Amino acid sequence: MIPQKALSSSIGSKFLIALTGLSLVLFLVAHLAGNLLFIAGPDAFNHYSHSLISNPLVYGAEAGLLALFVLHIVKTVWMFAANRTARPERYAVRKWARKKNPSSRKTVASTTMILTGSITLLFVITHLVTFKFGPYYETAEGIRDLYRLQLAVFSDPTYVGFYLFCMAVIFFHLWHGISSAAQSFGIDSPHWTPRIIWTARLVTALLAAGFGLLPVFTFALSVN
Amino acid sequence: MTVKLRVWRQTGPGQPGRMVDYVAHNVHPDMSFLEMLDVVNEDLIRKGEDPIAFDSDCREGICGSCGLVIDGIPHGPDKGATTCQVHMRRFTNSETITIEPFRARAFPVLKDLVVDRTAFDRIIAAGGYVSVNVGGAPDANSLPIAKDVADQAMDSAQCIGCGACVAACKNAAAHLFTSAKITHLGLLPQGEAERSRRVIRMVAQMDGEGFGSCSNEGECEAVCPKEIPISNIARMNRDFLRALIR
Repeated sequence: MIPQKALSSSIGSKFLIALTGLSLVLFLVAHLAGNLLFIAGPDAFNHYSHSLISNPLVYGAEAGLLALFVLHIVKTVWMFAANRTARPERYAVRKWARKKNPSSRKTVASTTMILTGSITLLFVITHLVTFKFGPYYETAEGIRDLYRLQLAVFSDPTYVGFYLFCMAVIFFHLWHGISSAAQSFGIDSPHWTPRIIWTARLVTALLAAGFGLLPVFTFALSVN
Repeated sequence: MTVKLRVWRQTGPGQPGRMVDYVAHNVHPDMSFLEMLDVVNEDLIRKGEDPIAFDSDCREGICGSCGLVIDGIPHGPDKGATTCQVHMRRFTNSETITIEPFRARAFPVLKDLVVDRTAFDRIIAAGGYVSVNVGGAPDANSLPIAKDVADQAMDSAQCIGCGACVAACKNAAAHLFTSAKITHLGLLPQGEAERSRRVIRMVAQMDGEGFGSCSNEGECEAVCPKEIPISNIARMNRDFLRALIR
């Protein structure tokens, strides 16, 4: 089979969506690990961010991330549209089958993936405008003072609220997304599947808690 | 007991349809759901009206002919049961029951509650078989198969091709049906020879029929009268990806 044709099949598309999605989750883990240095103070945080943005390899990494985002979005939007046409006439009455049989994995999270994904995209754009392309403060050493920028941004409780809302949205997206990716890869066994689902949900909860903690911590710091 | 029905009526393929209200009197709680519809139809015929068209054959849950969406759930409220195995005692007196056909682009409505499921036949024709020479059956012990593998293949072989998985899926995907066939054949030594070709051809046919994609929600498994798990879909995904790199 021609690889291009295989990757546009229903299974190949889901494989690509899962692969790009999980890669973005790995990015989130690294991103959170770096961001948590904020707690260690301005020097640690600014030196870390300086070493990151002054590294020439960062451009390649950014291009890679952009490619992951674009592929994930293009594939999911295309698939969403195709799935809508697969049922042109809607049901008059529609119920979830969970009551009939609790084996169903359908959740609010799994039914709102396109919505939570769209909000995440808007958030990422806002996030880049606020931080990456935001005001340029300099430290006494002459490197970018992102610590000061973060302090300034999260001193506004409205922005803290917006940020927490977006973290909740991403939490929902990953609640279904990570374990769904395992299924799309074909990873399944009676022993491992329940463990994969719970591990995926734990990782999701830890990521959301970590990313949610930072704006609250920063706000508390700015108030003091 | 008496029940109120809201039934999808459609005169033919491609025709506009609508929900029509009926009242079913003298319904015995021990009647099957289809027997209740038979009684309603007898009444309609007496009145000179067109009876409600619906599929049924064995009426004991093994043929896969029947399939109605009852109050928003394919095959109705009972776990691991087909429409014909649902009894009226599951409903309360004067309850309103909504009955619709399975909805999918690949399952066009022929009349009322009858849909055309030949898309499934074409998926099977694309690769859901084993090519073996006819002749005397070999001795069963000449092909040892581990008990758990044989059990798993039998579990997947239970699929009766009713299409409830498609009806329940928000994307009208046929992944559970196709994967059950692929698993049933692929797990056994007789099916191994065509394993890669089978998965590629059946998936291509499935996509070509206009079914949607799998969102890994498992609503299909929940409504499947044979309770076939979505681990079959994971296996199909695995087989498909494996076939690509071979």
